[in-house]
Amino acid sequence: MGLIQRAIETEGIPTVGITLQKTVTHKVRPPRAVYLRYPFGHPMGEAFAVRQQRAILEAALEALETLTEPGAIVEPGWVWRRHRFE
Amino acid sequence: MRDLAVAVAVQLFARLPWLGECWARRHRFVEASDVPWVRLGQPVRESTVALVTTAGVHLKSQPAFDMEDRDGDPSFREFPCEVDARALTITHKYYDHSAADRDINVVLPLDRLRELREDGRVGAIAPRCYSFMGHIDGRHLETLVQDTAPAVARRLRADGAQAVFLTPA
Repeated sequence: MGLIQRAIETEGIPTVGITLQKTVTHKVRPPRAVYLRYPFGHPMGEAFAVRQQRAILEAALEALETLTEPGAIVEPGWVWRRHRFE
Repeated sequence: MRDLAVAVAVQLFARLPWLGECWARRHRFVEASDVPWVRLGQPVRESTVALVTTAGVHLKSQPAFDMEDRDGDPSFREFPCEVDARALTITHKYYDHSAADRDINVVLPLDRLRELREDGRVGAIAPRCYSFMGHIDGRHLETLVQDTAPAVARRLRADGAQAVFLTPA
């Protein structure tokens, strides 16, 4: 996914992506990433967990506005099935 | 037999996150030293935001991604962002998409993005979503990097996208 993200940024559009695999992200180096220690298949969290999905999307969009270092990875630290999204 | 092995691996990777990290450390990736970067030109609340995913999402009416080729399928599908989720399906054997089958927002946050737009947190939603099948390797990597990824980038620009949010499988 990082390669696609890099191609879009190269075209001149700012990008942010979710990553579930920090090791891959450190190698491929997309412009901005939000890392979640979630299982594969759950980049936005659990099914019908509206608050969780919304918090993840908002964290990513916020990263677009606040990150200034190319290749930065944001880590909200939300523990899978433990963190309560209010 | 290979299908069974893939199914077992998918369940193991879903349940044991450290397995994925082990695989990632051993696997060869296209490694980069530089990072492309452009600044967001306006606040998100004034931006047209587009969604891109590598979770293998596509319209039921579109051809499925090729799951027989071991190097994956570097092609992409596009569909309207205002799509009815019931028209979508997922073709991807290499991850457990049972949650996303029930709620597409688990891999592609169509409803969440619409809510942020209604709340004025996002300016607008780009007209089209673009979707890949994330398991791309070997000879297909060149097709992705040289051909299909830049093609999607150009289409996003033509669509008026000012920011792009990407989700993996």
